[in-house]
Amino acid sequence: MNRMSSQQVPSSLRDILADILEISPEEVTPETGVGTIENWDSFRHLQAILAIEGEYGVQFDPSRIAELTTVSLIQAELAAKGAAL
Amino acid sequence: MQNESERQELRRKIKEAVAAQNASAAVQHGRSLLAASSKPSDVVFCASAFTSIDDSLTNQLRAKRLKTYIVRSITIEPILPFLTTESVLSNYVLDLHVGGYGSYVDEMLNPQSALAKFNPDLIFVLLNLEDIAGRLPDLCADGIGDSVDAEIEEALARTAQLLRSFRSGNSARILFQGCLVPDLTSLGDIGEANMPRSLTNALHRLNQKLAALCNTISDCVFFDVDHLAARHGRAHWRDNRMFLASRLPVAANVFSLFARGLVRSYSTLFRAPRKVLCTDLDNTLWGGVLGEEGPEGIATGSAFPGNCFLDYQKYLRQLSSRGILLAIVSKNNEADVREAFQTRAADLGLTLDNFVATKINWNEKSSSLRELAEELSLGLDSFVFVDDSPVECEAVRQQLPEIAVIEVPHQEPWRLVDLLSAQSFFDAAVVTDDDVNRLNEYKAQAQRTELANSAGSRDEFLASLDIVCTFVSALDAPLARSVQLLAKTNQFNLTTRRHSASEVQQFASSRGGQAVAIRVRDRFGDAGVVGLALARNLGDSCIIDSLLLSCRVIGRGIETALLAHLAENAIKTGARYLRGEFIPTKKNAPCADFYPDHGFVRGPAREASPESLFYQLDLTAAALTSPRWLTLEGNEPNELSASAVVTS
Repeated sequence: MNRMSSQQVPSSLRDILADILEISPEEVTPETGVGTIENWDSFRHLQAILAIEGEYGVQFDPSRIAELTTVSLIQAELAAKGAAL
Repeated sequence: MQNESERQELRRKIKEAVAAQNASAAVQHGRSLLAASSKPSDVVFCASAFTSIDDSLTNQLRAKRLKTYIVRSITIEPILPFLTTESVLSNYVLDLHVGGYGSYVDEMLNPQSALAKFNPDLIFVLLNLEDIAGRLPDLCADGIGDSVDAEIEEALARTAQLLRSFRSGNSARILFQGCLVPDLTSLGDIGEANMPRSLTNALHRLNQKLAALCNTISDCVFFDVDHLAARHGRAHWRDNRMFLASRLPVAANVFSLFARGLVRSYSTLFRAPRKVLCTDLDNTLWGGVLGEEGPEGIATGSAFPGNCFLDYQKYLRQLSSRGILLAIVSKNNEADVREAFQTRAADLGLTLDNFVATKINWNEKSSSLRELAEELSLGLDSFVFVDDSPVECEAVRQQLPEIAVIEVPHQEPWRLVDLLSAQSFFDAAVVTDDDVNRLNEYKAQAQRTELANSAGSRDEFLASLDIVCTFVSALDAPLARSVQLLAKTNQFNLTTRRHSASEVQQFASSRGGQAVAIRVRDRFGDAGVVGLALARNLGDSCIIDSLLLSCRVIGRGIETALLAHLAENAIKTGARYLRGEFIPTKKNAPCADFYPDHGFVRGPAREASPESLFYQLDLTAAALTSPRWLTLEGNEPNELSASAVVTS
């Protein structure tokens, strides 16, 4: 199976996650998530969500927030909210 | 940030600075980035950069490092990077530890708790209204509830117990956050405003009482989060969605304001406020240029734009009334300035008497500021400089980086007061009588220094001060002052014995005992009771147990007068020898040679007190006399009523 690449993540989202998780942007791929990055704990998750909401001007439903555990899930939720990535 | 490439450039520079462990560059670029961008990702980026050079921050910039423990019943974690960056921008490095969610009672009261073991320098106590006074919202629902006041008192008592118990076992400084007044309630705006026991009114009362409580606990500051929320807009302060879902106390877009408020509050626990404001005159204290427009032409007074400057003058006068010293640093002809203050007195909020010192000349402002620091015996780091000229401001920034510089907004004098009050450098949680009296004391100090520079020899100078020393019994100094001097004097203190009031009384009442205080005044002012000596006779000797002098009056021969006074009394009580003792400490080097300088001979060391140096003087062979420039008053043996000799 081909490893997914960071090129598949919109650069603005990639950079935010890299900053918040303190990893390099290249490490952020669609399948990056709570299980794959040690730093990605529940507080970084909240922090990332808040940063993403601020960047794209959207608000997630709190009951969905805990489920957005990978980059691709976040990306899909943003798209569903009509955010311009 | 407007310009993405500028943002990337700053981030690149920060990375470089971090790689080179260049703390000052990292902070400088971090400050620029954070001033222009409030993106959480940039804040996390800076926080992580700063954290990776924490040692360099403390070593190179002498940032104050504080082990900080957060006691909380809220979610604080996403705010921590903001707290880190705001702290670093104010030159603090926090080693943060966050306590368990809601376990604050155990943490604060249990001597074996994680908090106690962490041994912090600082704790934040960040609780929700539910924890402090959870029943209030219900009790206040009708706006007239008669149990509201009792609940406030109970909440206060609980908090007092929490803070006092913690304080009894821990010396960490405390920041205690007050309650946030909810923006919307079932009573509605009108009811909230008009009913005495509405939640809004109850919480205002509770906050006032909590602040008063914090004031009674040492090293504890009340953080008025509600004031901050009101300033920035209650409606936007809390995001109910995130508060209810995650107990996040403030909305994501006010994290930095909240963190800045925390830093500004805890700073008062660690840093003394600046003490002096030096103001320029033309286009700063008044509008226009005095030399060009003359005293009638400058703008000040009740009409616009003069009232912008009048506001600034009033603001300065208010600072002065709580002990901030004002000085003028202006390039002008002094005679013109005096004339302006005279002819425009009715339009000015200040007179020249409000200023502790003035430097009105054509010298470089940096050298005027240096002179002022010397004359007032204050460090440049306690100075604030206000000027409208970007060139003067930049010169001071470069040559005297310790000074805080405020540039008057060009063509917008109405902004000056806001700009000044937004700064934290005059922040203080308490104001004492000493602060309030500071102006007169420093005026006298400045005049003495000026005289010292103009007078020829030291003796001539001291004689010109017209110093009068009055001896009074230490019991009437009053006694509390004597004990305070014993407790606080470090530099000119020969034995640094911290005697209690009852011990001082024993010296006064014992046979041949002496407990003498000395009060000093000169032509510039009254320094009050500034020195103390305790002695008692043993056999043929008068033993000096303690002798000390406040450092404000060292070097004027007053110490000699005190010693001569003791000798005189010793002779009267039949002593042959006067014996003294010097116990070296880290701070009392200024009086190390006090006894040898007065002709005392070093005696043998004693096993019982190996630190001490013992000296003695044969009173039959040598006479101790007071310097001739001192006028002596009072003659206290202790049986003499001291009130008779205290001068008015």
